[in-house]
Order: sequence, then structure tokens, then C-alpha cells
Amino acid sequence: MAGIVLKGRFPRRRLIQIVATNLARQVFGSAARNWVRNLAGTTPAIGSMTLLLLMTGLVGLSGFALYNLEQYEAAQASVLHVYLRDNAAYQDVDSLWDRLSNDPRVATVTYTSKAQALAHAQSIPGLPALADASGSNPFPASLDLQVNNINDMGAIDGMVRYDLAVDSVTPTSYDPGAYQRIQQVVFGLAVAGLAFLCLLGFVAITVTANSIKAAIHARRDEITIMQLVGAPRWMVRGPFIVEGAITGALAGLVAGVVTFGLGAGAITAGSSGFAEFAPGVTVATVVVAAVGVLVAGVTLGSGSSLISLRRHMET
Amino acid sequence: MHLELQPGELAFLVGPSGAGKTTILKLINREIRPTHGQVIVAGIAAHLLKASRVAELRRRVGVVFQDYKLLPRLTALENVAFALQVADLRISDEEARDRSLDALEAVGLGDRGSALPHQLSGGQQQRVAIARAVVAKPLLLIADEPTGNLDQETAWEIMDLFSDIAAWGTAVLVATHNVEIVTRLQRRVLTLVDGRLVRDQQAGQIGRMAWLASS
Repeated sequence: MAGIVLKGRFPRRRLIQIVATNLARQVFGSAARNWVRNLAGTTPAIGSMTLLLLMTGLVGLSGFALYNLEQYEAAQASVLHVYLRDNAAYQDVDSLWDRLSNDPRVATVTYTSKAQALAHAQSIPGLPALADASGSNPFPASLDLQVNNINDMGAIDGMVRYDLAVDSVTPTSYDPGAYQRIQQVVFGLAVAGLAFLCLLGFVAITVTANSIKAAIHARRDEITIMQLVGAPRWMVRGPFIVEGAITGALAGLVAGVVTFGLGAGAITAGSSGFAEFAPGVTVATVVVAAVGVLVAGVTLGSGSSLISLRRHMET
Repeated sequence: MHLELQPGELAFLVGPSGAGKTTILKLINREIRPTHGQVIVAGIAAHLLKASRVAELRRRVGVVFQDYKLLPRLTALENVAFALQVADLRISDEEARDRSLDALEAVGLGDRGSALPHQLSGGQQQRVAIARAVVAKPLLLIADEPTGNLDQETAWEIMDLFSDIAAWGTAVLVATHNVEIVTRLQRRVLTLVDGRLVRDQQAGQIGRMAWLASS
């Protein structure tokens, strides 16, 4: 017996390997082969899904920017700038400051000098040119109030606008209804965006489901045989779901790359102006949006396949 | 109707077109669900089976069709191995190949494993289909007009195969219009008319109702 060496494999590991190999071949390999074979029929689905996902990515980024804008405006809406006369007496300013600090409706009061106002203006796109064009500093000093309740803004404005220390031409930044108008615009845009995405989603799901229906029809003999020899239902359906996922992944990849390209391009080209226009949208946000679009593509593709299978595949 | 098949029994299902032969086979294989009554196959209540568990039943039932239903892109060996591996992922390529070769040899096609279906005659294709149906060693084999597309000589060869399969313990139920075979083989004959079992003729008898198979 010397010299005979048996090299047996651990049975369970071998079993796992066999199952994995068969699974890869019968589900993923089969799906990939059929996807390539049906590419001509799948192209419209890829096109419509890419368009949908691209729009989703861009609308998502716009929605995120609008949400941040709304949050910013909401914070700004509870801030009341009380502009001071250039020649206001210190006593008058102090008196007003004390009165406001002691007012229970006011959370905080801070003072912004003319120099600070100018420096702030110079950080806003477009305003530096205006500031530089004028020989003197046109921006007034102000007392900036953080108001506890946005509904008290009107009353506080009425209280301070005729004060001796306050500028008579532009007494405060109070603009009744400004925040509500922004909210209405944002809500309108959100509804329009959602409706548009729903429409595109319906088209993409319909087109993808139809391409899977065609694939089911083309492989009906194979499906019949698999069903009759006792292949589990998930194994019969699996390749079609993977096929849909491949379609969705490809569309998601294209849409994700374009979303990233457009977003990153806009950030690079717009620099500081972009941050004002779309607050919170950074390169990291754009990457997250692109990955989200890819994941959405895979989900949409496999989901559409599942819908088609439920409707068109018999047991 | 009440119908019961024993292991190793070969029975013919005869009757005029529309009598319900194919329906019986579909009920057995749970392609359709009965509106009432019971269908018990190899201990499984097919009439109660959920769609997600139908595969369990079908692994115990081999099926042969008139039109063979072979996958044209696969060789004879691959057609048989495919059926084996999609029904049971635990079967390795080597085992599937060995068992498929055994099945092909059993039907007399051991040397045609690498042939594609279009390279085989009708009789050979039906043999491959039979090899596919029995490779997983089912408890029951059902065949729907298996000799419908074959000449008489080839039909006899196919029937010989069914007899051999039954001799090894598998119950075989064959729906057919072939009167000559039914008459000469003298096996059990179940005669259907309008969905009703009008005669259950045991093996070795020649019944007066056999003419019904000739419609």
C-alpha cells in the first residue's frame, strides 16, 4: 500500500462548490447569454431606463438643493435685520439694542458694523463689483435679530421701523409672505418633478417588462422543459430577473456616469456661484446621487422583470 | 373517476379526441389544478400543492411528449444532463454526465450523445426525450402520444422501452391512439369517454371497448 495517497475533498465544501457552479451557470450564465442574444430587443428598454434614471439623478440633486435652499430660507426668515442710520447716535442704538434684548419674542441680538456688512456683501456673487464701484461703503450697520416665532416678525418690524436709530428709507429686511412664496414654489417644483418621474417610470417599467415578455416568449420551450423536469420556480424565474437587473445596471451605469459628469462639471465651472444656486450640492453629494442612480437602475430592472414574470409566465 | 397505478405497472390511456386523456396527464403533473376531487402522486397531494412547491412533485414524475421538446442548441447528452442539473443543483457535472450517458445507453443511444437534435431521427429524438424523463429515476412516467410522430416499427421500439422502464419498478401511463400497440401488448387499458373512465381493462384481457381508441 505504500505510495498510494488519497486526496479526498471535504464533502460539504465540494457540495457548496457544485451548487455554486451550477447556480452561476444556470442562473447568471444563462441570464448573461440570453441578455446578449436579446440585446436588440432590450435596447429600447435600456434607452428609456437610462433617460428615466438620468432625470431621477438630476431631479434628485435639484430636489436636494431646493430642500437645502428652503431650510436656509426658513432660517433666514426668522432673522430680522434692523438697518441703522449712518448718523445714528450711540445712545439711540444702545437703547434700541437693550429694548430688543429684553423682548421675550427675540432670541438673540447681534450687531453688524458697516465694515462687516461690506465684507459679507463681497462674499456674495455679483455684489463685489457693486461694492467696488461705489467710492464709499453703501452697506448700513444693522442689529440682527433671531426671532423665536416667525409670526412675530410683523409686530417687531412695526415696533422698530420708526425708531430714531433706524434708517427711514430701508428700516428692516422684513418681507411679509417671502418665505411662504418660496415654500409654494418649492412645493410646486417637487410635485411637477415627481409627476414627471412617475410618467417616465411608467414608460421605463412598461418597456422593460415588454422586453422580458419577449424574452420569455423566445425561451418558452426551455422554460417548459425546466418546469416539467422539476426545476424550482426561483430557478426558472431567476435568469429573467438577472437579465432585467443587467439591463437596469447598464442603464444605471450610463445615467450615473452622466449625472456625475454633469454635477461635477457644474460644480467645477460654477465654483462659488454654484454653492449659492444649489446649496449643499458637493462632489460627494454627486457621487452619492450617481451610486443611487445605479442602485435604482438594478432595482428597476429586476422589479420590471418580476412584474413581467408574474403576468406572463405560467407555472 | 377513480384511478390508481401501482409501481412497475404499464397502463394505456385511450379514448376519442377530447375524451380527457391529456387533461388526466396534466392533472397528474399539476399543470392544471382540479376543480374538485383528489390527485395523489407518489404520496404528494397534487390538488393541494401550492405553485411554489409544484417542482417537488415534478421531480418524481417523468414526462414524454409527442413532439419530444428537446432544446435544439444542446446535444443529446446535454439535453439529458440539463434536466438533471436544473432539477437538482447538487449534481456535479461529472455525475450528470455519467448518469446521462447511462440513460442514453439504456435507450440505445450511448454513441449519439454528442449529436444535436436535428442530427437525430424522430425515433432517436424520442429516445433522448425518454432518457431525459427517466434519468432522475422518477416513480411515475407519463407519456402523451409518444408514438404520434413515429412509424409503426419505431413506435414498437419506443413501447419496448416503456415496458423495460416499467419492469424496473416505475409506473408508466401512456396516452395513445395506437390501437395495434394497445391491443397486442395486452397491458392495462383505461378507456376515457367525455371525461369519464368507462372501462378499466386489466392486463392480459382484450376488451370490446378497445375500438374506442381508434377514433
